[in-house]
Amino acid sequence: MERIKILFLMFVLLISGFAFADGNNSQSQEFTAQQILKNVDEVINAPKDQEITVEMILIDKKGDEKVRKVKIWQKGSDKRMVKFLSPADVKGLAFLNLPNDMMYLYLPAFRKIRRIASHVKNTNFAGTDFTYDDIASTNYSEIYDAKLLKSNDQSKEQLYELELAPKEGIKKEYSKLIMAVRKDNFYPVKIEFYSKEGKLVKVMENSKIEKEGKYWIAKQALMHDLDKEHKTKMIILEIKFDQNLGDELFSKRYLKRR
Amino acid sequence: MRKDKICAVIVFILLFFTFSYSEINLSGNIFTDNRFRLEDNTFSWNEIQLISKLNLDIGNGHIYSETEFKSIGFPNILNSTDLQDTESINPLMINIRETYIDFYKFVLKNLDIRVGKQRIAWGTADKLNPTDNLNPDDLEDIMDFGRKLGSNSVKLTYYLGDYSLVGVVIPIFKPAVLPSDEWASAFFSSLPVPEGLILQSYSDTVILPKRSFEESSMFAVKFSGNLFNYDLSLSYFNGRDDIPLINNVIITSVSPTAIDVNVEMIYPKMQVIGADMSGEIGKIGVWGEAACFIPEKVIMITTMNTYTETTVALDSKPYYKYVVGMDYTFKNGLYINGQYLHGFIHEREEDNLEDYIILGMEKKFFDDDLKIKIGLGSEIKDFNKIKDNSAIMILPEISYIPMDNGEINLGAYFINGEDNTNFGKVKKNDEIYIKFKYSF
Repeated sequence: MERIKILFLMFVLLISGFAFADGNNSQSQEFTAQQILKNVDEVINAPKDQEITVEMILIDKKGDEKVRKVKIWQKGSDKRMVKFLSPADVKGLAFLNLPNDMMYLYLPAFRKIRRIASHVKNTNFAGTDFTYDDIASTNYSEIYDAKLLKSNDQSKEQLYELELAPKEGIKKEYSKLIMAVRKDNFYPVKIEFYSKEGKLVKVMENSKIEKEGKYWIAKQALMHDLDKEHKTKMIILEIKFDQNLGDELFSKRYLKRR
Repeated sequence: MRKDKICAVIVFILLFFTFSYSEINLSGNIFTDNRFRLEDNTFSWNEIQLISKLNLDIGNGHIYSETEFKSIGFPNILNSTDLQDTESINPLMINIRETYIDFYKFVLKNLDIRVGKQRIAWGTADKLNPTDNLNPDDLEDIMDFGRKLGSNSVKLTYYLGDYSLVGVVIPIFKPAVLPSDEWASAFFSSLPVPEGLILQSYSDTVILPKRSFEESSMFAVKFSGNLFNYDLSLSYFNGRDDIPLINNVIITSVSPTAIDVNVEMIYPKMQVIGADMSGEIGKIGVWGEAACFIPEKVIMITTMNTYTETTVALDSKPYYKYVVGMDYTFKNGLYINGQYLHGFIHEREEDNLEDYIILGMEKKFFDDDLKIKIGLGSEIKDFNKIKDNSAIMILPEISYIPMDNGEINLGAYFINGEDNTNFGKVKKNDEIYIKFKYSF
């Protein structure tokens, strides 16, 4: 942590010359990289709970598409349940993410709930380009240490560019993430995922970022697996916030319900 | 003809409900399975099936029904009269696999109740579950082991945080569906005939338990929870073994060298105390399941002419079956799964329990559209003399998904081993198969 603070201080000193000279970067002085990341978490996990119906379009390298429809329930930042509504061969398949890295999968054909071990977390979730880990609820600031790479005020969208590295003792599939965050609302617009060998392997882009009620939400997200040349586009069809979803919804009891 | 009428009535009811209630959801699949036996170059399996699944939300509850319309087997024609019988030419079976109603938050906020014909799957292991004794085994297709029939039952589940308590009552005992003759030798020993005698005729009688609460009903309880990040459960079952056991043999001499044998079979009572766990060690998924079987003692009476002998067919001494397993996915996507099993579905008593090692490997290609699987099963009767007391089964399979909801499977069963092993007894049944499935 101390090392990161020193690195961050050096970084701030390095860019401060440009920033102050430019006289146009007031926000980068106000927030540390970790504070920006915490703000990201607060924005994406702001609703007390969410119920979202999503269309997932799987696009292969020839451009052929397959469509899946899922429903996602989320409470806070650490409880999430995903259920497949279509197509028929995966309908009923359901996934539950709980605190302490507990993940369960309901397999309707076998009438069984199966515990998901860590080795599965980095495999693709039901043919999409999202891994089980990606699809699980996220609290970036608890997992990653952030470093501010850029504070861009010149482009159309004013952005922070953060480099996120897994905190000491936390094992992740990616060596680092590069996250572009909108300055006006702290919503991440783009995340690049780098392998342990330092190779860029996946890119996620959030678009149609709109305010729905009092919360910001990306109504469209595209995950691009660069190795497989395969993409998954997520389009939000319906969203409900703050319905006071009970904790019992995020349980094995509800996982196997239709 | 009668079955066709039943079929038409069911389809009518389904359509009626479909149009009457917008909330009703009808789904299912069409499945074909054709197998070819390599030993004698003949088709050994011919199946087409339509499964319809009906879902309906009813306020604080849910209705589910799964019906199987199945044509399985080959035309059974012995004479010209059979040619006038549709069922002989086109065998058809209708089976309601499950039909139940869920009542959520029944009386109490934390209580769910499910009433009707249902599959109650217990245990954490893959397909081989010693603690899963509530539903009768469906061994019609022996290669689909682990499949069970639904049972008419009442299941109550009480939830308390991460913990749950399940109670099940099955009023009427239902026996297992046994495999066809060509596979049955893997499960059941042939009847020993005294030396120098020939078995001229064989007949048997299966005695089902009296349909009283004491004799026919079964019940079970299970307590589940999470401790130190491991999912754990303890269970107790009081019921009957669903595979029959011979308890009476009547041998009649019909000539100095030939005998007729009449056998009587019963379903022994048993209690099973079970436990299972699942979790992970490092990144490796691990699970384990163990069951202590406490059978009721069964005496076998053998009568030959005027001579009667009494032996113990099943001792009441408890015996243990267990499974331990693990799985892992490598970075290149290769998935491996391994299980060690002590005691197969049909095995009883400690001295008769064999050891099995089952390994599976799976890898997906072309955006998961193509999957290659290899299963290996080995049976070891004696670890000290493995060469003469073991058998192996190799199950390669290629699955291709040409479109959403559609799947084609091409595979084979190769079996080899010593004649004294279960697998070895069916080593001539090597087969290749092709299966199609479309879900809607």
